[in-house]
Amino acid sequence: MVIRILLVDDHPVVRHGLRALLGLQPDWEVIDEAEDGSEAVDKVQRLNPDVVLLDISMPKMGGLEACRLIRETAPQCEILILTQHDSPQMLREALDAGARGYVMKSHAARDLLDAVEAVSQHKSFTALGNGD
Amino acid sequence: MEKLRILIADDHEVVRQGVRNLLEGRPGWEVCAEAVDGRAAVEKAVELKPDIVILDIGMPNLNGLEATRQILHNRPEAKVLILTIHESEQVVREVLEAGARGYLLKSDTGRDLVSAIEALHKNQTFFTSNVAEMVLENYLRNKPESSPGTKNELTPREREIVQLLAEGKSTKEVAVALGLSVKTAETHRANIMRKLNLHSISELVLYAVRNNIVQVVQPGLESQRQS
Repeated sequence: MVIRILLVDDHPVVRHGLRALLGLQPDWEVIDEAEDGSEAVDKVQRLNPDVVLLDISMPKMGGLEACRLIRETAPQCEILILTQHDSPQMLREALDAGARGYVMKSHAARDLLDAVEAVSQHKSFTALGNGD
Repeated sequence: MEKLRILIADDHEVVRQGVRNLLEGRPGWEVCAEAVDGRAAVEKAVELKPDIVILDIGMPNLNGLEATRQILHNRPEAKVLILTIHESEQVVREVLEAGARGYLLKSDTGRDLVSAIEALHKNQTFFTSNVAEMVLENYLRNKPESSPGTKNELTPREREIVQLLAEGKSTKEVAVALGLSVKTAETHRANIMRKLNLHSISELVLYAVRNNIVQVVQPGLESQRQS
């Protein structure tokens, strides 16, 4: 299944790593990147991706605020949070903001592909770091 | 011509992959290994003798600062490039004191990583521009502030043990992790508490946090550049 993905993270090195991981899937396409929340909101409106991979802690506009705005303006687009926050509270906030998935950066290699696939089918996927 | 051999140490695979992606394909450069924490970085640096070691600061088991000290103690000819999210003057100072030759923010990696490695390879230094200004200002003020308090009184082994204890390991687990007897680990722990004038493990955790020996992620601070 073709999945069009927008990558949002303020660290270029993380975006490079994500491209490498996602590039393993032949049908998936990283259509663009953004380095903060407001750029992400703009690009979602212009490009209409299937999945937005969204960091939480970013300058200008953080991921949770961007998540709320994207849900309002592009409800068909699913959001997968990719963060270093290993916290049930943050997970709850992300889901309240409308995210469909939540994955830890430290577990990206293990969880990311499954998570992207799940949220692209409008299913939820959440995984904290504890007890894994 | 011999290849320039590079070791990447970061606890996040996605960051290691990103660094690898940025470096691979450069003619004459080879990523010889990856390490998931400071301890693995020290072991691999000794075993594989890389020319350049790229180290994150906030890593479990052994942080990047302590790993820098140990790597350069074992292999003074290695060049250490710190790749971090931290931009505080205190951290920069500690990194330089530990012997790193380069300091790069993760937010600047796309543009600067290759330049930083080229500089270190030529025996030059490389600092992210904000950090370079910080270093210069500090120099111009002409008061090389010493690192705070009692930390420097700890031996490298004791600093390692502080990190492991602050990460929640028991004295016995520390002993196993470092290949010490439990009794030796207990003695180290008692010495640490005495030297730092601490009376509980929670005080030790606080000390470790304040001195950047362990990093704390603060979930509430969404707008901070932490990830």
